[in-house]
Amino acid sequence: MIDPYYLQQLVIGLSLGMTYALMAIGFTLIFGVLNVVNFAHGEVYTIGAFASLVLITAVAPPFVAVVVFALAIGALAGFSLERIAFKPFRRFTDEASLKSRAMREATLLSSLAVSIIAREAIELLFGSQQQAVPFEYLINQPIHLGPVIIVTGDLIIFGISALMLIGLQFLLTRTHVGLSIRAVSNNPLGARYVGINVDRTIIMTFVIGGMMGAAAGILVGLYYGVIFPAMGFIPGVKAFVAMVMGGLSSIPGAVICAIILGLSESVAVTFISSGWADMVAYGFLIVTLIFFPQGLFGARRERV
Amino acid sequence: MSDFLTIQNATRRFGGLVAVDDVTTRVDHGQLVGLIGPNGAGKTTLFNLISGFTPLSSGDVHFKGTRLNGMKPNRIARLGIGRTFQNLRVFPNMTVFDNVSVGAFGTHPQSALDALRSGSKRAETISERVWQALERTELAYVATDLAANLSYGKRKYLEIARALAMQPDFLILDEPAAGLNDSETLELANFIRSLHADGLTIMLVEHDMGLVMSVCERIVVLASGKKIADADPDTVRADPAVLEAYLGTDE
Repeated sequence: MIDPYYLQQLVIGLSLGMTYALMAIGFTLIFGVLNVVNFAHGEVYTIGAFASLVLITAVAPPFVAVVVFALAIGALAGFSLERIAFKPFRRFTDEASLKSRAMREATLLSSLAVSIIAREAIELLFGSQQQAVPFEYLINQPIHLGPVIIVTGDLIIFGISALMLIGLQFLLTRTHVGLSIRAVSNNPLGARYVGINVDRTIIMTFVIGGMMGAAAGILVGLYYGVIFPAMGFIPGVKAFVAMVMGGLSSIPGAVICAIILGLSESVAVTFISSGWADMVAYGFLIVTLIFFPQGLFGARRERV
Repeated sequence: MSDFLTIQNATRRFGGLVAVDDVTTRVDHGQLVGLIGPNGAGKTTLFNLISGFTPLSSGDVHFKGTRLNGMKPNRIARLGIGRTFQNLRVFPNMTVFDNVSVGAFGTHPQSALDALRSGSKRAETISERVWQALERTELAYVATDLAANLSYGKRKYLEIARALAMQPDFLILDEPAAGLNDSETLELANFIRSLHADGLTIMLVEHDMGLVMSVCERIVVLASGKKIADADPDTVRADPAVLEAYLGTDE
C-alpha cells in the first residue's frame, strides 16, 4: 500500500502543475504568433491576484464572481501589454521588417521594462509586504478522502484549470479566432493573404494568455493566502521552463511538462527541503537543453 | 462602370531602383491573363502591388470600383482577391482541412457561438466550402493529414484550395509551375483551364513560357519594370520587343 502522504503530495503537485500549465499556455501562444518571449507574463499573474484582492476587500463578492473578475482583468492586462510593449515594434509590415530579428527582439526589452514598471507600481501602491487575504476566501478547507487529506483548493484549481484547458482546445480547433491564431503561428504572411487580420489575432492571443495567467494568479493567491508584488516571478520562470521542455510552440507539450514539473516539485519536497524544490525546475531546464534541444514534444520546426 | 481590375500608371521604387515603372493595364471579368517577363522584370512586384503586400509609390489600382492603394492585404483578400505564393506559404502544422478552413473563415468569419451551435447554418456553409475546395483540388482523401506531410506538388494544390475556399472573384497564381516536372505542369495547365472554365478570373505570373502560352488568352510582358507588350499569345510570340527582352540584341 502506498503511503497516503505520497498520494496527498501527488494531488498537490497536480494542482500546482495545472497553475503552471495555465501560465505556460500564455507563454506558448505568444511565442507561437510572435516568436518572442513575453517577459511581462509573470506580472499578469500578479495583477490578476492583486486586482481580485481589491475586489474582495471592497465588495466581498461570491467566489465565482472573483474568478470571472480575474479573467476580465487578465484580458485587459493582456490587451494593454500588447499595445504598450509589442505593437510599437510592429509598425512596418513589409517582409524585411517582419523577418528582422532586431525588430522582434526589441520586444524582449520592452516587455521586461513593462514588467519592472508594473511590479514597482504595485509595490508603490500596496507596499512590498504580503497582503492579508480575508479568511473566508481561502480555499484550504480540508477534505478527507479515506486516509488522504486534500483541501478544497486542490479540487477548485484542478477543476477550473481543466475547464479552461478544454475551452482553449475548443477555441483553437473549432473557432475562427483559434484557427486564425494557429494560422498566424504557422505562417503570418500566408494568413494575411487569406483575409486574416493578423494584428487582431495577436491581440486575441494576448487576451487569452492574459486571462489564463490572471486566473492562475488569483487561484494560487487564495490557495496559499499569499499575495505580494513579486509573486509572479517564480511561476513565470516555471512556466517558461515548461514551455521550453514542451518544445517552445507545442501547447499539449507545455501542459504535460507543466504538470510533470508540478508533480516532481511536490514529490521532491519529501526528500529535500522546500527551499531547494525550485532547483527541480532549473535541473529539468538544463537537462532538456542539453539532451533534447527541440524539447520533449517539439516537432522539428519547419521553415517554408 | 463594369471595370474589374484596372492598373493605372503603377510605379514602385525601391531606393534608386524602379521595379515597376509606369505600368497601365487591366484585367476584365472572366479573363485568363498571363504576366511574364525575364528575371527581375518586376512581375512579382506588380503582383505584390495588387495584393497589397507592397505599397505603390505612385499610380492607382482599382478592383471592382474600389481603390486598393494603401489597403491592407487582409482587406484586399476579403474583397475577393485570392493569391498563391511562389515559395509556398501553407500552414505546415495544421491539417489539410484546417488549412483550407482558414481560407473559408478568413472571408466568412464565424463566432465562437456559431461553432457551439453545431447545427448552425454558417458552420455548415463553411465546412461545405472547405469540402468543395478539397474535392476540386483532389485533396479530400488527405484531409486529415498534416500539411507538412504532403508532397511539394500536393502543397501547391493545397494553396490553391485554400484560395478557392475564400471564393474569390479573382485568383492570382504566382509561378505555380516552379519546381514541377513536365507531366505535373501539364496537369496543372488542365487544372487552371478548368478553373477558368468555371468562370473564375485568373492572373498567372509565370516563368514557364510553355504553360503561359498554352493556357492564357492574353499576355502582358514586362521588362525592366516597363510593360513592353500586351496581346494574345501569337502576337506576343512574334513581337520583336519581347524577343529582344528575352534573348538580348546584338550590338
